[in-house]
Amino acid sequence: MSIIEVKNLSKNYEYYRKEKGIKGSLKSFFYREKLLASAIKDISFSIGEGELVGFLGPNGAGKTTTLKILSGILYPSAGEATVLGFTPSRREATYQKQFSLVMGQKNQLISNLPAMESFIINKEIYGISDSEFKKTLDELVGLFNIGSFLDISVKKLSLGQRMKCELVAALLHKPKVFFLDEPTIGLDVVAQKNIRDFLKTYNEEKKTTIILTSHYMEDIRELCQRVIIINLGVIAYDGRLDDLIKQYVRHKLLTVTFSGKGILRRDIEKFGEIEDFSANSCTIKTSRSDAKSVAVALLSSSLPVDDITIGEESLDDVIRHIFGEGR
Amino acid sequence: MTNYEFHCKTKLILSYKYWRSKAYLKGREKSLDRYCQNANVFLRMKKYTTLIKAFWQRALHYRFTVFAYRVGEVAEVLILILMWTTIYAGQSSIKGFTLQEMITYILIGNVFNGIVRNWLSGMVASDINEGRLSMFLVKPMSYLSYVCTKEIGRITLPVLMSVLSQILVILCFSNTFIWNLDWGYVLVISAMIGLAFISELLLSYLVGLVAFWTDEVDGLYTTMERIKKFFSGGYFPLTLLPAVFVQISFFLPFAYSFFIPAQIYLKKMDLSVGVYGLGVQVVWIAILYGVIRIVWRRGLRRYEATGI
Ligand SMILES: Nc1ncnc2c1ncn2[C@@H]1O[C@H](COP(=O)(O)OP(=O)(O)O)[C@@H](O)[C@H]1O
Ligand SMILES: [Mg+2]
Repeated sequence: MSIIEVKNLSKNYEYYRKEKGIKGSLKSFFYREKLLASAIKDISFSIGEGELVGFLGPNGAGKTTTLKILSGILYPSAGEATVLGFTPSRREATYQKQFSLVMGQKNQLISNLPAMESFIINKEIYGISDSEFKKTLDELVGLFNIGSFLDISVKKLSLGQRMKCELVAALLHKPKVFFLDEPTIGLDVVAQKNIRDFLKTYNEEKKTTIILTSHYMEDIRELCQRVIIINLGVIAYDGRLDDLIKQYVRHKLLTVTFSGKGILRRDIEKFGEIEDFSANSCTIKTSRSDAKSVAVALLSSSLPVDDITIGEESLDDVIRHIFGEGR
Repeated sequence: MTNYEFHCKTKLILSYKYWRSKAYLKGREKSLDRYCQNANVFLRMKKYTTLIKAFWQRALHYRFTVFAYRVGEVAEVLILILMWTTIYAGQSSIKGFTLQEMITYILIGNVFNGIVRNWLSGMVASDINEGRLSMFLVKPMSYLSYVCTKEIGRITLPVLMSVLSQILVILCFSNTFIWNLDWGYVLVISAMIGLAFISELLLSYLVGLVAFWTDEVDGLYTTMERIKKFFSGGYFPLTLLPAVFVQISFFLPFAYSFFIPAQIYLKKMDLSVGVYGLGVQVVWIAILYGVIRIVWRRGLRRYEATGI
């Protein structure tokens, strides 16, 4: 059963052009040319219950815009979106009690009060019963291990700690659908990992449907089986991450280390495209099918090969490749 | 129990602050429970009281700023008194106002105005312009009630301090000040101030909503403040002007936060006129509320959630 249905959705933003210089400014004081920027163009997808879908795309791709429409913040310019059977832009309370939105760059916690105060406010806003609240809070606090800073003013917390509190605040009412817009942005590697682990566990335990946007590959790779790649407002790929790799990863990377004095560049140029070179280690790019035979050829050559590892072309490169095609 | 769980648990148990915050939560629940047992109306009110409490705490955080503002207010009142005393030199009355009445007008009017005031416009405008409004649009609570509740919580302390400091000034002038504590007057004036508070809140909210159409509300806001202050009689009693000004001001919402209640207090306006004025206020509140609903709906269509 699909929880989120998006059909031919488009969103245009209005903006005004201002000409350069004082003359332009004066002119625009009386007349401003209205322009439309189309942020998303005719996109469609559907997401089933319990799925954790990654929304991947460069800055300005339209990820945030899509999430804002799904949460009822923006009206679509054309097309329709349905979540849990509701039309988000109607902003019905019954819908609002069943989803949550967290934005990495915006916070809902009141900044100079302890997070606990914001939790209690959310408890009242969402009409959570005392016992439910206590239970959920204990559980989330345990999962995140944030008990020690619940009564410290939010603005004194680190970015990572704050994001954890944001997530707790957003999950107190046990939403069925959870939208996350760049939750790991600006965090250090450890905090990013913490948040990812949490989301993974949470999704597995609660079967909450999650859409996660990010431009960190790591987030998507670790969390999502399905990925929707969006670029310049259109969907460039929608499917399993594995299939994406199969479809687009046309190369393998052979990392070869050499013993002794090492080798010269021209010795190995005939084996494939050289990505990286030093006397004792180099990376060779080959097509998927040739990888094995190249490895064998290397081993049987007279070169002082110490070790060979065969790896995938990095997902980042793949994505960059897809983005490149969209332009 | 996995190792990780064990680690978490022990850490939680060891964490003294966590228990403190839990105890704190319990205490709150108990006191709230007492009020809210199976009373649905109160359960709905609970979110408002919780919000107000939270913002009281925040206001306490800014106690120095709050105090500093009061110094300026008191100074302004003293300057006005000084000015009128100079103007009155030799004259016993100007347009029916004795100096004693004028000083009382300034003192009591500023107390009323201190209660009625709010700073909602700026807050609403910045929520809209900076996209903070988005965080409310996704929650099952109306932004109007949220923001009004927040404002009430936010201004309680400043208002209390303002009223207290004004009362202190009144006590300093206690032999000039005219006292009027007749219960009928107190009742009508209290109702008037209450309604004026609501209509001012709605008016500020409406001005704030203009931010949907432009990101420059400051100018409008300041101009609005000036017009309001003039028609409220905050600069000087409107009776000093041709009678038509008093008549116009009676049908505008502004004078109910200063001039009219002060006139009633001074018994220069009949109680019956005051009661009639309450009706005018109620009509204004209804009009403002209606306009707000229309403007809000239109504005949201234009809202672009910028800044995120
Ligand atoms: N309020 C706005 N006015 C005009 N253009 C906007 C506005 N908000 C976003 N855009 C444009 O819409 C496009 C999509 O933005 P967004 O959804 O924020 O992208 P992402 O979240 O993928 O980085 C961008 O090109 C951006 O410049
Ligand atoms: Mg974005």
